[in-house]
Amino acid sequence: MDCIRKKVKEEVERGRTGSDHGCPYHPSHFIGQDCTFCFCPFYPCEDARFGKFIESRRGRDVWDCSDCLFIHRSEVAGFVLDEIRRTGFEECGDERMDEIFSDAKEKFWRRGRALMVLGATSDAGKSVTVAALCRVLHRRGFVTAPFKSQNMSLNSKVTRTGSEIAMIQALQAQAAGLKNTDYHMNPILMKPKGDMVSQVVVEGKPFADYDVSSYYSEFVPGPGREAVKRNIDFLLDRYDVVVMEGAGSPAEINIYDSDIANMQAAVIADAYCLLVVNAEWGGSFAYALGTVELIPENDRKRIKGIIINNVRGDTGKMRSGADELERMLGIPVIGIVPHADVKLPSEDSESFRNSRTVGTGSMRIAVVKFPRISNFTDLDPLFLEDTAVVFADRPEEFDGADAIVLPGTKNTISDLEWMKENGIAAKILSMKGKVPIIGLCGGYQMMGSLLSDPKGIEDGRPSETQGLGFFDNVTSWERYEKCVRQERGKIIATGGEVTGYEIHMGGTEVRERPLFSIEGFSGNADEGSVREDEMLFGTYLHGVFDTQDFRRYFLSFVKGGHNAPESVDYNEYVDWNLDKLADVFEEALDMDKVMEIIGAVR
Amino acid sequence: MRVLFLGTSSGAGKTTVSAMYCRYLARKGVRVAPFKASNLSLNSYATSDGGEIGIGQAFQAMASGAVPATDMNPILLKPSGNGRIQVVLNGMPYADITDDTPLDIGIATAEACKAYDRLRERFDAVVCEGSGSPAEINLRGRDIANVGMMRERNIPSVLVGDIERGGVFAALYGTWKLIPEGQRGLLKGFIINRFRGDPTMLGSGIASIEEITGMKCLGILPYADLRFPEEDSLSNSGGRMSGKDASSAYLENLDSLIAEAERCGFDFEALKRIAEG
Repeated sequence: MDCIRKKVKEEVERGRTGSDHGCPYHPSHFIGQDCTFCFCPFYPCEDARFGKFIESRRGRDVWDCSDCLFIHRSEVAGFVLDEIRRTGFEECGDERMDEIFSDAKEKFWRRGRALMVLGATSDAGKSVTVAALCRVLHRRGFVTAPFKSQNMSLNSKVTRTGSEIAMIQALQAQAAGLKNTDYHMNPILMKPKGDMVSQVVVEGKPFADYDVSSYYSEFVPGPGREAVKRNIDFLLDRYDVVVMEGAGSPAEINIYDSDIANMQAAVIADAYCLLVVNAEWGGSFAYALGTVELIPENDRKRIKGIIINNVRGDTGKMRSGADELERMLGIPVIGIVPHADVKLPSEDSESFRNSRTVGTGSMRIAVVKFPRISNFTDLDPLFLEDTAVVFADRPEEFDGADAIVLPGTKNTISDLEWMKENGIAAKILSMKGKVPIIGLCGGYQMMGSLLSDPKGIEDGRPSETQGLGFFDNVTSWERYEKCVRQERGKIIATGGEVTGYEIHMGGTEVRERPLFSIEGFSGNADEGSVREDEMLFGTYLHGVFDTQDFRRYFLSFVKGGHNAPESVDYNEYVDWNLDKLADVFEEALDMDKVMEIIGAVR
Repeated sequence: MRVLFLGTSSGAGKTTVSAMYCRYLARKGVRVAPFKASNLSLNSYATSDGGEIGIGQAFQAMASGAVPATDMNPILLKPSGNGRIQVVLNGMPYADITDDTPLDIGIATAEACKAYDRLRERFDAVVCEGSGSPAEINLRGRDIANVGMMRERNIPSVLVGDIERGGVFAALYGTWKLIPEGQRGLLKGFIINRFRGDPTMLGSGIASIEEITGMKCLGILPYADLRFPEEDSLSNSGGRMSGKDASSAYLENLDSLIAEAERCGFDFEALKRIAEG
């Protein structure tokens, strides 16, 4: 205690420091914290809202307030410093300190407000909405924490106190600018062990194993509920806003009464709720309406706004439906959020569906994921081989590829420009001769030297575009007509069988050795282009990988061997993406309405 | 016989459930054809007479043991970027449409109905698939494949809901509620697709939905990690395939799906009564 008294005296003499960026431990609580009182003048305050007694290693009771943020709020630090100087105190134990402490609490402490984000489905965008709101509120000066009652995830992180929490809550805490991420933000973590049994981790420590039915009948009503309440209270005592995330859908009427991750948590925290629906799969109005109406009336009143998330294209097209939904439900649609092109780590098994890699084989086939990619079922037969197929839209994703596929596209010219602009074209050119490269239909047209669209048939406006130059071919669009036919023939190099079909606009003048010999009414015709020595292949045939003969022929050029991808500063990259995400939401949401719902007016 | 499978969202499993029912009927000796009035897809297939249809209907034709024909997908919409969509009508490129020059819904619906009528003439059963969700209230009046066909041809319909993402009860109820009253009565049943776990857990939820909507639950289809051709997006890429060529692998997968459905007590009889009704 003497040591702390001495430190506080030094702090008072030193005066306001704001955020001490020179300190090697900074920031140990949150970005923007006030460091004037690194040592708290009120220690040990013994106020249960700020800390608790724990047993020290020597078996003594010690006041632990390491999670308290009160003295690190700049308005509190400023007030306390002024009061200490004004009243001229000498010692920490001075009873005038008690008065300053109660004045500070009276003036500045209030229990935080909770806002809950519900999703109509898994993957509705709850996690990103919480992350975005955490970052927006943090940027607006609110000390904010994320919270999710329970999480089913194998992706967990270890906190500085050695507790385990879901990766996604750690990410949301990063969005909130927090450095003190801990189990309070995700008190219940379920880790599937197989055979329908999960290990349940409570407050960061393994608690017990449960199957589904014992989880709902034994764990939820007792220890589960208590853990949720304890930790929500903990956060509301310390933060301005707690942004809570629901789990799955809140309208699972078969388990409604035993669901502590959604409406019951909202009741415990006295939170108002926002409902997020993902527009990407369609049916978003039905999901929103059904979710609200299936929730019992008492709880339904907590839902104060609806967010239609992940809208591609013109968000205005959703407005008329949103207006009708508002009329039917009496709940405002507070935002129609466009698809946010951000790269953040993904959470659960449900997100593996959006996985960019299919298969775990040893040959890594990189497929250019054009914005207008078409007939990508052409790639399906490759899954029959020892492959991992990556759909890639960034140059670095081609690192370590054993083969490259330029698939079909609905707009060859604009997707070629896209690929030149984002650096993929240069990347692929640099890999020429090192790995086999094949172009299919539109991808094949791109591999030529020139693409000529004098009437704007392909791209809506006249253009002449340099191809990738792998082949000397010239493709031109002279007439608005489409070639549609089924084909069968032989691989010229091996005599193997090939089948497929052509669907394309435009025609190609081929100045290369042909790849196939196609059977026709009037004798055989050449199709495609090949330069075996440079491992370059191109064809108009869709379904070309359907026959084993061609698959094996193409894959025989794959040498294998993997290179480690280049490393970047991942943390900075994530932070940059969080800001970008927050920008999208802040722009699309009626933020005044959100602030009103939170009731957070300072 | 005719039935229309509607999805509560894209990717709910309409295409696969339709293909499964095509295959089921074909194996019973029924002459069956698939039909999807309009399809938004960049994955297309060339029919033997040089027409273009969505890959989903080609796959369903294969499941039906029928030759893919342009009547099975009279309208194919292919987004080509910059807000333009190429319309393929009865297999042939027809026009490019934009926001300012939209598709004439009257003409398109009439053509779709003619194609449907021709299939009804030629086949004993027509298994129809809707497009996206039928409850897109912002697009009311522009729907052909869902409410459009229900209205024009009174086709009894079955909702397919995907439980994998959660919220399936909300989706089934919400979709039912947003179907115009004139057509709501055609919704006779629903299917819960991609379920993992113990189906008895769903009992009370299913009973509520049956009671509120009057639709009958035809069955719970288990999650099956099987690969089928896809129309809409890359998002579901995955699933098992085995064998030497893609088409026989798809058919084998359909047969295992039927076997699984039968094992789980899927009510094919009730579905037949709906289709005959």
